[in-house]
Amino acid sequence: MASNPMQQFTVHKIGPEIKIAGIDLSFTNASLFMIISASVILLFLFLGSKEKNIIPNKIQLIAEMFYTFVAKMISDTAGSKAKPYFPFIFSLFMFVLFCNMVGMLPYSFTVTSHIIVTLIMALFIFIAVTIIGFLKHGFKYLSIFVPSGVPAVLLPLITVIEIISYLSRPVSLSVRLFANMMAGHTMLKVFGGFVVSLGVLGGWLPLSFSVALTGLEILVAFLQAYVFAILTCIYLNDALNLHH
Amino acid sequence: MKSFLTMFIALSAINTDLYAAEAGMPQLDPTYWASQGFWLILIFTILYISISKFYLPKIKDNLDNRENKIKEDLENANKFKEQSETKLKEYEIILENAKKEVSKIHFESKNILDKEIQSKKDIIEKEIEKELVKAQKDIIELKKNSISSIQKISENIVANIIENISGEKLNESSIRAAVEDISKKNIGKYL
Repeated sequence: MASNPMQQFTVHKIGPEIKIAGIDLSFTNASLFMIISASVILLFLFLGSKEKNIIPNKIQLIAEMFYTFVAKMISDTAGSKAKPYFPFIFSLFMFVLFCNMVGMLPYSFTVTSHIIVTLIMALFIFIAVTIIGFLKHGFKYLSIFVPSGVPAVLLPLITVIEIISYLSRPVSLSVRLFANMMAGHTMLKVFGGFVVSLGVLGGWLPLSFSVALTGLEILVAFLQAYVFAILTCIYLNDALNLHH
Repeated sequence: MKSFLTMFIALSAINTDLYAAEAGMPQLDPTYWASQGFWLILIFTILYISISKFYLPKIKDNLDNRENKIKEDLENANKFKEQSETKLKEYEIILENAKKEVSKIHFESKNILDKEIQSKKDIIEKEIEKELVKAQKDIIELKKNSISSIQKISENIVANIIENISGEKLNESSIRAAVEDISKKNIGKYL
């Protein structure tokens, strides 16, 4: 009856096997839920921008709130220079948020609970930010590793630490999101399993935990999307505006 | 902290064979990594392009429109406010002038009326005085007349009384003298 709490994360093929140059690119449940999340985003934005009312209707208001929320986040953290990257940050935020939220539905699959997905996104951001930094500042971009106002004795140590922290950005960015999503969903599953195994008499306590955790997980789903987007903004800010 | 706890619960559940044992974390199974990466890049690219090309410009347009509309409306409102203020000032000036005129008219008409009333009063007072003088004259005349007639009546009465008492007729002139004498003495009482 009670199944493995990690089973919800298994990826399985849907439909025929697709192999290109010996690499398995089959359509899986992960792909399906990526498409579902993207479709929900596009549908939401379509409905939100369909009518051009001066006084917005509800869905238009929500879409505009998302827009201003992300726009404000970018201008607060990365300044006006980051404006060209607004569509990317917006897409990223919406994609992570909706993948997290769709994952909260029972029997669904959480795309962002897979390290490979978050790692690809984080690596893309990391590489893109590094390229942007070098394009904007040339080799002066390397001065990001040498903070100003540090005593000369500490400088070698600090520089090494800075390099390590810079290189660990994609790891921390991806693991944060992946671990949060996986942990939350595993907990929900475990408490759900307790409800079943303790039955009608004892199941109420884990059930109430489950309800509370669901609320918490929805908060975490939003928060992690926000954190992912705002960290991207901060990295972008480092590349665009050299402070050191 | 939370993730460690969960991992602990999950791993202990697996290790104690509570659940049907499977591989620990499906995330670390590389079978579908390429597939997930491929679909992620494909879907995210489509999402990015459609968002940046279609939806964000639309939403931005909408927001800009609203902002412009609000700005325009505010400007219009300010303009109308200024207009209404100037109108109000004009109105106040008109009102002030009207008030001044009203008080002027009031003052003038009051003066005219006062003069008229005064002159009429004077005329009437003069007339009254004339009448009074005339009436006093009349009264004095009447008094004089009444005294002489009273004297005559008294003479007759005295003559009759004397004739009835003594049976003799007295000289008229002596009676007149006596009556005049008495009335002269007592006339102060009646006049």
